[in-house]
Amino acid sequence: MRNINRRRFIRDSAALTALAGMGWKPSMAHAAQGERKFLFFFASGAWDSTAVFDPHHGSDGVDHMPDSFTRTIGGLKHTANDLEMESVSRFFSRWGDRAAIVNGIDAHTVGHESGRMMTMTGTSADNYPDWATVLAANGQGEYPLPHVVFGGPAFGGHLAGSVVRAGGGTLLDLIDGRIVGTSDLAAPMLSAPSDQILDAFVYDRVANFTGDRAGLRGATRERTDALMANIDRSLEIEGRKFEAGLGNLGNGMLDQALKATEMMRLGLTRTAMIGIPGGWDTHGGNDPQEVQFNNFFEAIDMLMEHLASTPGQSTPWQIDEVVVVALSEFGRTPRFNGSQGKDHWPYNSAMVVGSGIRGGRSLGASDGGLIGLPVDFATGQQSDTGDILGSENFGAALLKLGGVDPATILPGVQPFDALLRNA
Amino acid sequence: MSTRILALLAGLSLTACGTEQKSDADSAIVALSPREQLIRLSVDLRGVHPSEAELAAIEANPALYEDYVDAFLDDHRFSGRIADIFNSRFLTRTGASYGLSASGFDMPAIVNAANNEQLKLVERIVENELPYTEIVTADYTMANPVLALALDLDYPEGAVGWEKSHYTDGREHAGVLSMTTTWLRYTSMGGNANRSRANAVSKMLLCDDYLSRPIVLNRAAVDQLTVDPETAINTNASCQSCHSTLDPLAAHFFGFFVYDDDSMFEDPTVYRPEREEGWRLYAEKSPGYYGTPTSGLGELASLIADDQRFVGCAVKTVFEGLTQRTVVDEDWAELTDHLVAFEDSGLLIKPLVKSIVMADEYVAKDVLDEDLALRIPSVKMVSSAQLSDIVAAKTGYRWEFAGVDIVTNRSAGVPTLLGDIDGLNMTSRNYRPSVGAVFVQERLAYAAAWAVVDHDFDPDREGDAKLLKYVPWSATPDSHPDEFEFQMRELYRDITGLALADDAEEPAALVQVWRQLYSVEGSSKKAWAGVVSAVLRDPAILTY
Repeated sequence: MRNINRRRFIRDSAALTALAGMGWKPSMAHAAQGERKFLFFFASGAWDSTAVFDPHHGSDGVDHMPDSFTRTIGGLKHTANDLEMESVSRFFSRWGDRAAIVNGIDAHTVGHESGRMMTMTGTSADNYPDWATVLAANGQGEYPLPHVVFGGPAFGGHLAGSVVRAGGGTLLDLIDGRIVGTSDLAAPMLSAPSDQILDAFVYDRVANFTGDRAGLRGATRERTDALMANIDRSLEIEGRKFEAGLGNLGNGMLDQALKATEMMRLGLTRTAMIGIPGGWDTHGGNDPQEVQFNNFFEAIDMLMEHLASTPGQSTPWQIDEVVVVALSEFGRTPRFNGSQGKDHWPYNSAMVVGSGIRGGRSLGASDGGLIGLPVDFATGQQSDTGDILGSENFGAALLKLGGVDPATILPGVQPFDALLRNA
Repeated sequence: MSTRILALLAGLSLTACGTEQKSDADSAIVALSPREQLIRLSVDLRGVHPSEAELAAIEANPALYEDYVDAFLDDHRFSGRIADIFNSRFLTRTGASYGLSASGFDMPAIVNAANNEQLKLVERIVENELPYTEIVTADYTMANPVLALALDLDYPEGAVGWEKSHYTDGREHAGVLSMTTTWLRYTSMGGNANRSRANAVSKMLLCDDYLSRPIVLNRAAVDQLTVDPETAINTNASCQSCHSTLDPLAAHFFGFFVYDDDSMFEDPTVYRPEREEGWRLYAEKSPGYYGTPTSGLGELASLIADDQRFVGCAVKTVFEGLTQRTVVDEDWAELTDHLVAFEDSGLLIKPLVKSIVMADEYVAKDVLDEDLALRIPSVKMVSSAQLSDIVAAKTGYRWEFAGVDIVTNRSAGVPTLLGDIDGLNMTSRNYRPSVGAVFVQERLAYAAAWAVVDHDFDPDREGDAKLLKYVPWSATPDSHPDEFEFQMRELYRDITGLALADDAEEPAALVQVWRQLYSVEGSSKKAWAGVVSAVLRDPAILTY
């Protein structure tokens, strides 16, 4: 019913603007109130989980970077280095009560591409959507840009229509429209009413196109439905572009995060994926891990500051509705290799910060050789009667946190409830 | 236009009668109209829409379809389309330069050279109608002046394009297996001992990803891996399920290994024959291919070329690329038909492609069988290269920034917005149009439309008008009502390739759009630019 009204509204709006020069100012985002948004960060190449999340100082089985030590803040343990990783400890001291570290996650693989797939989808099978896509596609709200990928992995699977690739920031230039004035043959922009006149014509053409194919099924139907839905979304976004004011931001990791959270605040987006810069595949020397972790934590410290001081879409502050998830495809070996680097290792860690998280604790466990130990999924603590925590269990908990029943995506997979405040 | 097509058009009147369409009433598949069939065929094989003359010809005589198939297979753009398809398997176009340097050439030229050595071999195989086995048995490589300079290749003097070339460092040539850029794209870290490269070869040439195999490691295996990974790999049954064949394959590539005996990283562009037996330092598995010992890349290439999985992988790659389907078990019978055609031809790409595009499934508009309907998309999405070429063919315009086509160039990310792969993070195409694709089409359409208006209404222009042929720039719907109506109808057909019905609403609607735009902008030029852009935003441009 809403779509029918919307189409009529667009047509009527175009006619009105043509006649009266009135601007279309729709406010049609139907994002659900109180629904959590998710901002994913991904370190492609595989981070060294012991460099921050899973310290084993004192164990002969794990090599750490020089000058590092274990620091405990509340119930959170992390690897600290006050010379090289000052931002890490600062982050945990400021935001640790909202953060959960999860250790001993079995990625089930040590291949980069398969690791990304396993970590983000919980399966090695092709064509499964990743956690972010599932959450975006299953939101209660109607998000014009459901899942925005600024960088990092993107597995759309059968829900690929919900994935919007930001294209290095170009998407925002395209939305803005001024991009046509900056090409080699610059074109003058049309006024907003003219834009709406054209949009109305195109909308009808696409509606006819999809209507003519309404009886088709399967893959065809998915494509035509996606085209119609995204014409809808594009019109809504154009109508609201003046609100976002995103054009002045750059394209660094923090800039992307701020763009993403602003789109979340406006109800345009539910999830986003951002790549954590750096060369994480440190076989040839582990030094970059500290630098890159420090840069990352410096950025998300500023991000959290922003979230804590920016009104949310449905909560007083954004920090109460946004969940920050930091992942990598697997971990690195506990011991240095001959190049003082570390190779691929299936056991990994992750960090989740923000709304709905039972924060201030390190969950999961690994032994002195950095091998995952059985844990009780309810408490998150080591238990001989527990299970090895897999990436699929971790992801299932994220789905649950986002209001999606994990059994509908990965039947039989037990969510890692210890992560959740209200499991 | 090829002489073959000219001959087809000339012979139109002789063959216009007594033909039948590809569908029949008893079939589970309803075929596209002849015009739509030819558009699909042309976009797939040439990357652009057919000309109006070609469309009129097949509309008059649908039996010409096969003749057009043959003609398009001989089109100069066909080999590039096949290379695009194989990029989805090889994933070599990543936008990375891999640290190559070539004095006097800019970075885009270096990236182009670094990303296309394998795909230019594909193009050569297609253009010269060589058996696909050449992809691994070629005793040469492909290079342009940039790559030749960067890798010190023996390149024909005075040549300017991609040509047969040779490495001069003593390596055994074996098609993509001996190309330096293959091993720059697929690296191996020290402890990995070329295993990731072996898996890359398996994925590229056999469509078999070791990493997709389910592995269950028990606690003892994990403990053993921790202490002594190489011994665990050699002795543990779980590890051996992959490593018994993976490691002998990996043993072929130590001449390209970039770590010395002290695990120090060295220049990755250099082939080092003295390292060929580096496998002795790792798993101690000597070179072999699924149980057959080999003496080097040449024998490996022969064994791969003889492997039925290699043939099947080529068929799967081309089939999936042309049909935008993902092969499942139920497709086996259909795929077997194409496999037979491929093998009967001596593994030539053109007969394989012809087999696919002549199948009823290829020209499906609707599929009545429920199960089949789930697998066959009757709406296909253009790639970024196809979109750029289609718009350029119709308008003469490419959306360039500092001379770079933003639609196809990866740097700004537009191809991924359109659903293309990037070779690294996005390794399979998204065929469902996203909101990003909608915005790209909208802005590209307006930029191209403005270029059309700029050209067509230029009183000093050279050549014919691109699209606005029937209305003077000073005309209005009130002064030239019939011309406006006719122009809109022709505009629609010229851009989409599809003729409107006599009672279609679009011409009048477009005239109304013109009036509205003119009333808002007060500019005939802007009004026409808007109208042209509206038609360029038609779904018939983004789909085929």
